[in-house]
Amino acid sequence: MKVQDRAAVTPEIAVPAPVARRRRRGRRAASFEPLLWMAPAIAVILFVFGYSLVDLFRSSLQDQGQWVGLENFKATISDPLFRTALLHNLRLLVVAVPVLVLLALLLSILLFETLRGWRFHRAVIFLPYILPIPVVAVVFGQILQLNGLLNQVLRAAGLDGLAIDWLGNPGWALWTMTGVIIWKELGFGVILLLARLLSMSAEPFEAARIDGAGFWQLHRRITAPLLKDIIAFYVVVEAITMVSWVFNYVYVMSNGQGGPGSSTMVTELYIYQTAFQFEAPQVAAAAAVILFAASLALIIVFFRLHRPEGAETS
Amino acid sequence: MKMKWLRGLVLLAVLTLAVAACGGGSSKSTQGGQQNLTFPTEPVQLEMWWWGEQEAAGAKNWVADTIRLYKQKHPNVTIKPVLQTTDGLVPSFKAAAAAKRGPDIQYFWGGIWSLEPAWADQIVPVSDYIPASELKHYLNAGEDTFDGKVWTAPWYTQPSFPVLYRKDVLAKAGVQPPATWTDLLAACDKLNAGGVTPVAGGIKDGWFGGWLYSLLGSQEVQSVQPVLQAVAGQKSFTDPELANWWIKLQEMRDHRCWNKDINSLELYQGQQYWSDGKAAMTMVAGSDMKKFVEQVGVDKVGVMTMPKWGAGPLAGKLGSTSQTLGITSWSKYPQVAADFIKFMHTPERTAAWFKTTGAFPADDRFDKQAITLPQQRQVFDLLLDGAPYLENYIPTELDSQANFAHSQLVLAGSEDAQKAAEATQNVANRIRITKRSIVKNFGAWAEQQS
Repeated sequence: MKVQDRAAVTPEIAVPAPVARRRRRGRRAASFEPLLWMAPAIAVILFVFGYSLVDLFRSSLQDQGQWVGLENFKATISDPLFRTALLHNLRLLVVAVPVLVLLALLLSILLFETLRGWRFHRAVIFLPYILPIPVVAVVFGQILQLNGLLNQVLRAAGLDGLAIDWLGNPGWALWTMTGVIIWKELGFGVILLLARLLSMSAEPFEAARIDGAGFWQLHRRITAPLLKDIIAFYVVVEAITMVSWVFNYVYVMSNGQGGPGSSTMVTELYIYQTAFQFEAPQVAAAAAVILFAASLALIIVFFRLHRPEGAETS
Repeated sequence: MKMKWLRGLVLLAVLTLAVAACGGGSSKSTQGGQQNLTFPTEPVQLEMWWWGEQEAAGAKNWVADTIRLYKQKHPNVTIKPVLQTTDGLVPSFKAAAAAKRGPDIQYFWGGIWSLEPAWADQIVPVSDYIPASELKHYLNAGEDTFDGKVWTAPWYTQPSFPVLYRKDVLAKAGVQPPATWTDLLAACDKLNAGGVTPVAGGIKDGWFGGWLYSLLGSQEVQSVQPVLQAVAGQKSFTDPELANWWIKLQEMRDHRCWNKDINSLELYQGQQYWSDGKAAMTMVAGSDMKKFVEQVGVDKVGVMTMPKWGAGPLAGKLGSTSQTLGITSWSKYPQVAADFIKFMHTPERTAAWFKTTGAFPADDRFDKQAITLPQQRQVFDLLLDGAPYLENYIPTELDSQANFAHSQLVLAGSEDAQKAAEATQNVANRIRITKRSIVKNFGAWAEQQS
């Protein structure tokens, strides 16, 4: 219902038409104001990313300057290696993200509940996150060799059967890499969730405890719902990481090969190899467009989840 | 009005020709494809992007000395050397070629590495600037030849790849150095029984897969032609002469010839087992061989080619390739770049190269009396009767996605020889779709081999 109509049928709150117009104009100006402030940043983003995006789309439809339509997309999608890479990203998404969320939630609650030494424990958990990925990947690459530190420890403990070639066995390599990625990314989630927990009022927790809620009940019914927004944010950030930010891990741990065979190949590495090592930039562009679309879909999901309640009706 | 236009056009054409003729401050004429440019007298600045210190230690000092000596000879010429990293060598040049500015002299590995830039018009043929009487002395120039022109000039050789064996380790296990394939597999069994790793390697970074392809894959082909034809789609990588090497690799795996952790080690880490006496044999880059021999002790090390399994003319021969230098198509002074390359091949410079680096210069005028290490002398003789280095005759994508990736899978036991050969053929099929120029260029290259 329009404002002037409402003014017409409810005389006790009726506002004279010129005043309503002034308010409307004021509201419109107010809604433009943030855009005005953001304009310089938007201009820079458009300049930096806009051109690249347009050029990327253009390249994906051409071959050596010739228009080829969707041929590059067909070539990309029909490539078993690309499909394998995409599947690996999907596997990382489906496996690593839930594990990360559950572990981050559990650890943040434990830190929240632990009174003594929680600052030290928080630092220990957060440390991997601030280590450079190449350093982490090189160190784990050494530790996880067949005769590396981990297997030496396992053998010393009489667990020879567990001493496998963690990165050299095609069946295990991606699982191993997933483990390293989880170890590295976990700290971010713990800090996010812990920060939210520490900023909450203690009242709901105390009330629940007085009502006799146990540990699991308390955190399942009170903590988890209160952390819903932060968890959603963490899920989307990690989902985007698994789809388009794992290049460094794979590149360093597999020496740029995505091997053994194609067992750790991911979409980013596929794009990099295709563009810079195999000199087929048009195919790489098509793969990059597909990856961009996947990332964009995840960002849209995030904004949908993050939309304030009632935003649809306002 | 029309006449005025015509006159204008004629004048423009004459002016353009006049400017072109006077350009660059040096005069130019062509004789049988040979560019006869006079040596400039004005100050000349050249840039040389190179690689090689990584496999021929000391090369950096030699390059600096050579540039200094050349400057003494031609005071108007200044050459700036830029040592590239292994990962940066190719991408840096691609970026420079896209911008048409950067080096005047560029380092290339042989074969496909030097012909791809030739096909992309990024370099000019060195044979247009260096006389045939000089070029004929440069070793392995054949792999850089296309359309009757030599595109890059061999600098130093890379014997690819000698098999080193530890006399002491073999003797302790009661095993003779294997000369045939049967001997090799028997040696693997016997060494394993004695708790010694037969052959040490590392394939985590993939490159060793390319080595294995060249060492084993060259043994049944009659020449490089069928390889080029298979890339162009005229033959298949599943044909026995091109695919049987996978069976041999599988046999080596089944006889446990390799160190168990070959898939989780880089090559140099695998080679360390050999240096430590834990493995009996290994393969090394020829340019790097001296280091390994001296590390272990000259008396303890023997050298041989890969044991023979095939009946092809290349079986039992040492792969021979040369690392090369090319002249970029945007260089203003290609004649100076060519003259500098010739200077690098003067007897004094080639002798100094060997003395400084221990690697063989790619020049048949090099006096082999300078070689004192017996293992090196043996390799140099093998090199003079060497075989083409097969890895240089396939596209890099095929090498990486087929040889690198599937050697890893075969050695890990996740794949058999037949599947590896089929996968190679699938990669080749795909490359012909994504790189449409491959068919034409490799087809022509194959034709020129006959």
